[in-house]
Amino acid sequence: MIASLWQYVLAGVVVGAIYALVAAGFVLIYQVTGIINFAQGEFAMIGAMTAASLAATGMPTPAAALLAVLAAAVIGGLCYLFAIRPATAAKATGVTLIFITLGLDVALRGAALFVWGTNPLSLDPFSAGTAITIFGGVLPPQAAWVLITDALVFVALYVFFRHTYAGTAVRAAVANPPIASTFGIPLRTFAFWSFVAAAAIGGLGGVVIAPITSATYDMGLTLGLAGFVAAVLGGLDSLPGALLGGFVLGIVEKVAGGLLSTGWEEGIGFLILVLVLVLRPQGLLGRAVRRA
Amino acid sequence: MTAVAPVSTTTLEVRGVTMRFGGVVAVDDVSFAAQGGEVLGVMGPNGAGKTTLFNVISGVQRPTAGVVLLDGMRLTGQRVDQIAARGVTRTFQTPVMFWGLTVRESIAIALAAREAGGIYPPGPERGLLACGLGLPAQRTRDAALREQAEVLLAAAGIAYLADRATESLAFGEERLLELARALAARPRVLLLDEPLSGLNAEEVAGVLRTVRAARAEGIAVLLVEHAVGELLGVADRVIVLDHGHAIAQGDPRTIAADPVVIDAYIGDELE
Repeated sequence: MIASLWQYVLAGVVVGAIYALVAAGFVLIYQVTGIINFAQGEFAMIGAMTAASLAATGMPTPAAALLAVLAAAVIGGLCYLFAIRPATAAKATGVTLIFITLGLDVALRGAALFVWGTNPLSLDPFSAGTAITIFGGVLPPQAAWVLITDALVFVALYVFFRHTYAGTAVRAAVANPPIASTFGIPLRTFAFWSFVAAAAIGGLGGVVIAPITSATYDMGLTLGLAGFVAAVLGGLDSLPGALLGGFVLGIVEKVAGGLLSTGWEEGIGFLILVLVLVLRPQGLLGRAVRRA
Repeated sequence: MTAVAPVSTTTLEVRGVTMRFGGVVAVDDVSFAAQGGEVLGVMGPNGAGKTTLFNVISGVQRPTAGVVLLDGMRLTGQRVDQIAARGVTRTFQTPVMFWGLTVRESIAIALAAREAGGIYPPGPERGLLACGLGLPAQRTRDAALREQAEVLLAAAGIAYLADRATESLAFGEERLLELARALAARPRVLLLDEPLSGLNAEEVAGVLRTVRAARAEGIAVLLVEHAVGELLGVADRVIVLDHGHAIAQGDPRTIAADPVVIDAYIGDELE
């Protein structure tokens, strides 16, 4: 019983690491633009599908992975330029923008269906090797890549926001957009880059998880919803919250799936979402008051 | 009486500015000019149109009629950030902080934003790359910015607050930081909206010292203030607004003795 519980926890950590990356994308875009981007999961799908299909042509995995992340980043930037930017220029706010991102989500998934079809694509693990054993629990070798990627992304985000002027300026823009603009901080440039960064991070998540889950055109839906729940759970305005929320959600899902039934695996996330919204709407690490 | 501008030849010109909100005329055909190296006091009772005037100059509101010029070039019609980039910086009646940033960070971003060829236009990725790689140019610039930030913090008398979170500041400290942050943006025109209100005597002296220092650097300072004694003491010239009209302009001594002004404003304040 304990052994299998531990195994569920380990599996949850791996999937939670991916949720954390998707959640980080939600938080980045939400912080900078105030938009909840429901197309976030599709960036992971684009990363996974692109990497898998490029690798299938014989391209070395590192090159395929790099191009896949670039592809996701470019599509994220295009989403901003052609869908979000015109809408905000026309003074669209709130629910309108959310619906635009839902439209983007459907459009990207539809495009993926058109390009790749419904068959799952597989991607080889980044490194060969035997399974990793931790206190009797077993993880695939690819899990190490997933966790290393997570660590690198969150350290990079931390360094950027805490130790660069540009990152500090983004925080100022988040705290008070109109006043920040009077100091020459370009809000629209930051909004663009928040989409690019969120898409690249999501794409990277898709690339590293693909060897474990395989890649399908509709994987973005589940990942996007899980990332959203993780972001709300951790606090939509908190990157550390995204990390925590991702792991908590991943572990709870796998444990519930293992102990109750796999049917619970997806459902439990929405139960968590409802509980968070009722009991602690600002999330675990979020601030009660969002903006100054 | 007018101080000689040692560096700048900045001229801010407000020409026939009118601002109507529906049937209410907040500012009515107001014209004046302010030179670099001059403190122009703006007086008037509440609702006289002082803050509206600042909103028009800084581009927050577009005037119903009239234009604002900086060195002969139109500011009116440009965006807030474009006007800011031309060197117009303001403070607010209630200080506005960047919550989540420390005092030092608040100064640093204002400094960085105004730096020649600033870091912002190329996008935030450059900051990350340069920082991650520890590029020498970035390091030199960082060191220079840090030093300038220390100088500004010390000049504002808030060096001891440098690492405090802005959320934790007292009201007077917020005012001092807001002023230091405005100066960090290296303005040519500085709009101060009641910078003395809510401050203790020591803080008031500090702000007035800073205003004089800004003047000495050639900045054109527009000062809205209800503390008439302090305003008349620091201003080189004064313009008096009443119900949106400019009812008097001149040097502080003339203004203080003007019966129209006394009737409209000073008398009320002294009661």
